[in-house]
Amino acid sequence: MKTETNKETLISPQLYVPVLFFVLLFLIPLVIKNPFYIHNMILIFFYAALSSAWNIIGGFAGQISLGHAAFFGIGAYTSAILYVDFGISPWIGMLAGGVLAMLVAAGISYPCFKLRGPFFTLSTIAFGEVVRLLVSYFRDITRGAVGLLVPFKPGIGNLMFRGKIPYYYFALILMILVVVVSKKISVSRMGFYLTSLREDEEGAQAIGINTSLYKLWAVMISAFFAGIAGVFYAQYILFIEPESVFSSAMSTQFALMSIIGGMGTVAGPVVGSFILTPLSEFLRSTLGGSFQGLHFAIYGVLLIIVVILMPQGIVVWFKDKYEALLERLPNEKRREVKS
Amino acid sequence: MIEFFQVLVSGIMLGGIYSLISIGLTLIFGIMRILNFAHGEYLMIAMYLSFWLFKLLNIDPYVSIIIVVPALFLLGIISQKLVIKPIINAPPTMQIFATVGLSLVFQNLALFLWKADYRTVKTSYQTATIHLGPMLVSFPRMVAFLIAIIVSLGFFYFLKNTYTGKALRSIAQNREAAMLMGIDVSKMYMIAFALGTACVGVAGALLMPVYYVFPTVGTYFGVTAFVVVVLGGMGNMTGAFLGGLLIGVIESISGVYIDPSLKEAVYFIIFILVLLFKPSGLFGLRGAEEVGLK
Repeated sequence: MKTETNKETLISPQLYVPVLFFVLLFLIPLVIKNPFYIHNMILIFFYAALSSAWNIIGGFAGQISLGHAAFFGIGAYTSAILYVDFGISPWIGMLAGGVLAMLVAAGISYPCFKLRGPFFTLSTIAFGEVVRLLVSYFRDITRGAVGLLVPFKPGIGNLMFRGKIPYYYFALILMILVVVVSKKISVSRMGFYLTSLREDEEGAQAIGINTSLYKLWAVMISAFFAGIAGVFYAQYILFIEPESVFSSAMSTQFALMSIIGGMGTVAGPVVGSFILTPLSEFLRSTLGGSFQGLHFAIYGVLLIIVVILMPQGIVVWFKDKYEALLERLPNEKRREVKS
Repeated sequence: MIEFFQVLVSGIMLGGIYSLISIGLTLIFGIMRILNFAHGEYLMIAMYLSFWLFKLLNIDPYVSIIIVVPALFLLGIISQKLVIKPIINAPPTMQIFATVGLSLVFQNLALFLWKADYRTVKTSYQTATIHLGPMLVSFPRMVAFLIAIIVSLGFFYFLKNTYTGKALRSIAQNREAAMLMGIDVSKMYMIAFALGTACVGVAGALLMPVYYVFPTVGTYFGVTAFVVVVLGGMGNMTGAFLGGLLIGVIESISGVYIDPSLKEAVYFIIFILVLLFKPSGLFGLRGAEEVGLK
């Protein structure tokens, strides 16, 4: 009986508020037609998806990866090469890219899981660099540092479109997908295992949790979505090069949004992206090229402030207000109590 | 055979600078138990400082050491007070992100102030070479190597024989016991961090005549320093010194015999293998292993 009342059904505000929010996002393109704003929204969803994917291993499991651009880049390169050289549709490429990123992540991470804290982070940086260097090196397959141009042939089968609206929906659905998977993980047995191993790995092992196995699951899911986001990037930008998709700045950005938003929470990375992506786009467009780098410097300052003053992230600020809001909304539970 | 020795010597020369950078990193880690992800950015700042002193005031990069080192020491103190001190007892995750944030700030401020251009100094001795038996050695590399060795030895002497040095080492061995013996731990942290950044101050000035400076130059040298520090055993200064020379040689040999564009990949792979199979480092220091695994 108790579990039944705790269960979130569509009439409980815990569920319908986020659903309403997502529905609202679906309706935005009907009102806003300006390509600049649509492009910004696409970037927000894109980074929210990537940061949420990072958060599964970095936040839930506390294994800080600063090499996630490797999985993102593997996804981008896999589908782009399959499409350009073999004419295989990016839809299939997407699956291939995601799966390849997942397999590489499993192979790379499993031995490194015995390293703790900053040492795990160091190994992810090193792997990220090795992948970037190898992709630049094998020019015959990847075109090397010159980059890979994806020829523009619009069509749903090619996952390329003339306008920005289809990309908007693709990015939105991708973000929702990652958020829903994150939510599912966070309330599942696996989510609790990940939290326990994050807080105290020996303790988790002592009560019989196979910590390596669950970290492995977490990194595979995380890399799969990072790979898919990479495919989206290749189809949207239509040009990929090792220095951009495998850059350490990319890896840092995924992590940054999570930590500023609120690491280890489902909403954190999304909040992080909704704040940071428009901020950086705004700074870039208003300050222009002469202020190159300034937005990343501001990111850095924000990161330090968040780490020192509110290590749980910005999401903590909203949490109380959000919960108070939920209390005031029509609530199934309360109705039951009354009747 | 001569070619091999030539490669070997040029690797060792290069390694001297790596050693110097890594000694700073391992000192900070050994004493504060913080991995400074912004270490390379301090090097970048030192290089820019040396570059601008040359460009604007026509001060030779080697002479600039006497200005760059105190400046970096000061910068170390300031960043320790503002950023490192508040997170000294925070969980490792927060410490990683605080120093990553610091590196983002430095790197992008440099990009903002000085653009992404590659800059270098022009000196009369830049292309000079010295005959060392049958081998040719580039003069600035030779000087960099010798100064790096002298500074490292001086540093070891300082740690072994002065009160501050002994206090620093005692903290590295046992923080609580050192505190009980009346050592001002928080002051020592400040000194350790500032000494670590002063080390890269020397390295930055020495690098200027042989290398370019650009805003992300620190990433390359910073990551290399991590490789060296892990090879040498975390917190082990002698290890860092030898590790630096070793990485210089590995880089030089793989650059010539494998492929110049893969030399970094080679030592990253070595790095990962050492992390996985011998986390205490190649020169074995008791306790270093636990640092990585616990």
